Amino acid sequence: MLQLVLPLLLSAALAVDTPVRYAEDRAPAIVNPLFATSMSEARLHELVFEGLFSDDHDLRSAPQLAESLELAEDKLTATVRLRQGVRWHDGESFDADDVIFSVRAMSDAATASTEAGRTAWISEVTALDPHTVQLTFVAPEHSPQDKLHFKILPEHRLGELPIKRTHPFRNRPVGTGPWMVQAFNEDSSISLSRFADHWRPASLSELSMREVSDKNYQSKLLLYKSLDLLVRVLPRDLAPLQNDRNIELYPYQTNSWWYVGFNLSDVRLKDARVREALALLVDIPELLRPIGTGELVTGPFVVSSPYYDHGVPKRETDPDRAGALLREAGYSFDGKRWLDASGSPLRVRLASQADLETSQDVVVNLQSQLQNQGIVVEPEFLRRAEWKQRVWRERDFDLILSQWSFDRNEDVYEQFHSSGGRNFVGYASAEVDQLLDEARNTTDPQVKKQQLRRVHSVIAADIPMMFLWTLDNYAAVSSKVGSVEIHPFYFFTWATDWTLR
Amino acid sequence: MTTRHATQLGQAALRICGRWLTTVVGVAALLLLLVEMAPGDAIDLLPDGETLRAELERRWHLGRPLPERLLLWLLSALGGDLGTSWTIRPGAPVSEVLRGPALASLLRLLAALMTSAGVALALAWRSAGHASWLRRPVHVLSLAPVFLLAHLAVAGLNASAWSLMEAGWIDRPAWFALPTEPSVLRSFLAVVLLALGSTALSGLVTDLEDAIARLRHAPFVLAARGRGEPVDPMILRNLVPVAAALLADRLAFFVGGLVILEKVLLLGGAGSLLWRASLERDVALVLAIGVGTGLVVATGRLASDALRAYADPRLTTAPTR
Repeated sequence: MLQLVLPLLLSAALAVDTPVRYAEDRAPAIVNPLFATSMSEARLHELVFEGLFSDDHDLRSAPQLAESLELAEDKLTATVRLRQGVRWHDGESFDADDVIFSVRAMSDAATASTEAGRTAWISEVTALDPHTVQLTFVAPEHSPQDKLHFKILPEHRLGELPIKRTHPFRNRPVGTGPWMVQAFNEDSSISLSRFADHWRPASLSELSMREVSDKNYQSKLLLYKSLDLLVRVLPRDLAPLQNDRNIELYPYQTNSWWYVGFNLSDVRLKDARVREALALLVDIPELLRPIGTGELVTGPFVVSSPYYDHGVPKRETDPDRAGALLREAGYSFDGKRWLDASGSPLRVRLASQADLETSQDVVVNLQSQLQNQGIVVEPEFLRRAEWKQRVWRERDFDLILSQWSFDRNEDVYEQFHSSGGRNFVGYASAEVDQLLDEARNTTDPQVKKQQLRRVHSVIAADIPMMFLWTLDNYAAVSSKVGSVEIHPFYFFTWATDWTLR
Repeated sequence: MTTRHATQLGQAALRICGRWLTTVVGVAALLLLLVEMAPGDAIDLLPDGETLRAELERRWHLGRPLPERLLLWLLSALGGDLGTSWTIRPGAPVSEVLRGPALASLLRLLAALMTSAGVALALAWRSAGHASWLRRPVHVLSLAPVFLLAHLAVAGLNASAWSLMEAGWIDRPAWFALPTEPSVLRSFLAVVLLALGSTALSGLVTDLEDAIARLRHAPFVLAARGRGEPVDPMILRNLVPVAAALLADRLAFFVGGLVILEKVLLLGGAGSLLWRASLERDVALVLAIGVGTGLVVATGRLASDALRAYADPRLTTAPTR
């Protein structure tokens, strides 16, 4: 009764003109492209900042703050003519100094930008005039515009190098993008308004980023029309959202894949036979089924990637072969469990990130599959700090369930090069090291494709990981928003074209 | 006042100050220990943490022993410097980050205490010393933990409002859908649920019923009644210090409930900030909020003692044996 009466008593006027509200699990900690680390930050940067080039609807590089690019014959320099009449959100004019500053800030060792890798290929940048810059490259570049997507920052706002994370810019960001940050609100939401002086003004006048940490509640809020957009819908919410006439679902692909990584410094898992046996005991399609749909992958690229080697066969479940491999590796089966030479059960710890959505379903399923085959699995769900300490720093795990997401460059160097900062599994292959080094310096796209396809096949054969799948993603958008097209990685790249119906 | 009384009062004041100081140091030590025991550290949560590790470990004294870190923080806090936020708003002074949220939480806390006391007094006054049909429903409702009540309230209000909107009976209320829409209703719910849930109300009602029943049969009340004087004002006056002491005893409990409610109802305040700071390992903020809360609780108890002493002259003027 109370529940029925209270809303009546408390009801107030209907809000007439609300912004388009989208949800993030976690609000961006800071808004500064120099220190971007999370996808929520990358998505917000896409609204507020711009690069010299950006993806067009066919995912080809198209000029954004640049007007044109002229590549020298030796491919060691390029002249970039900048778009004129572009203004920063504070009214200042955008010019060549901002481009020079952005490249220097990202490359500056003392600034320690997380984006340093995006400019490492540029050895020098100079202004030919206020609207033209010349870029000199470390090595010949066939298609430099594909690497000029990093965000340009306002020199007049950030000042001297080095830039610190604590710079006030972090919550008073100024970009050239189609929306500008209006306010960081007390409830962790961020209000954005259309930048009227943008060179191509957006149609949507207001946007709002709302932090809704409970992913289960996000779809409820969309149904209640308290949100207008969900970046990614949980598989179990697809049906109710699909049945709502006020909501449209938009499928999109991402460059991300899931994996189970083996700790190669563990004496048991160092043995390729044990790794292969474990991989042969897992029914990957069965793991995927409860959490949604997607494509199984056999290596470190998504199936649609030019670097994906389609010649690598999918590994089918084969308990007999797995048993033979384990016996060969010195294990015996007592009818219930696999035992090592000392008679102890083969026991592995499986760590996963507590905030990786649906990972609990996968972990429990994987545990059940391996335990049914006689391998004891101890699951661990680690929060962010513990994950970084245990997995990144101490390498204290047996198996890890996680996923990697990549931008259009799909650079897996950090994950698989023996000196890679994110090579937690401790993978080391002289051939892969050499191929990855070469691929980074290769300017011919065809050669790079061959090199990385080879990387795929070598890694697949070495089994430092069980490669699982790339998930199908669906965004849910209120039907009041029209002309929606979604960028597979940055999501909002084409939001300027979105309209309010 | 005799010298003996002055000495006794001085000793009492010293005891209170000692208790106060022990609370502050104890809270700081406990919080530091708890944050330290959790795996990983604040640097792990920074995007460029590893490149800055050496510098940040030096700046945040992470390599030093815990007692030394505690001492350094306490000395700095005594000097009025609470340090800067580590991860929530890196580099911003803690005092600046905390000012607004602390005030908001304090107001909520006071409102909840007043509501709880007011409602409990009204109920207890009615039911003290005899059977009342109200006692059972109040106890049942109050038994529910605040987080459960908050979830039920949010889900119930949202679901029922949505049904009414779909049926075309009402327009969309400004507060819909809780708790994501900023509205006064969220604060109102926080105050009401804090005053009611986790046995806050039922416990207070029971204790006040006992106190009222005792006072109604106290010799001075019976004597006054015999003289034909109105006794209710006398009982109420004597009930004030009792109620204050009961509330002071429950203060820490209310503070704990507020942390949960601010989190569930997405309210900006010291409670939700403490929650976030704990997850983000912002030790400077955690210590400041924890110790600040300890001070509020200790001060509340001090105020209750002072009120009791003021309202009951026997406590300060009675000769000691």
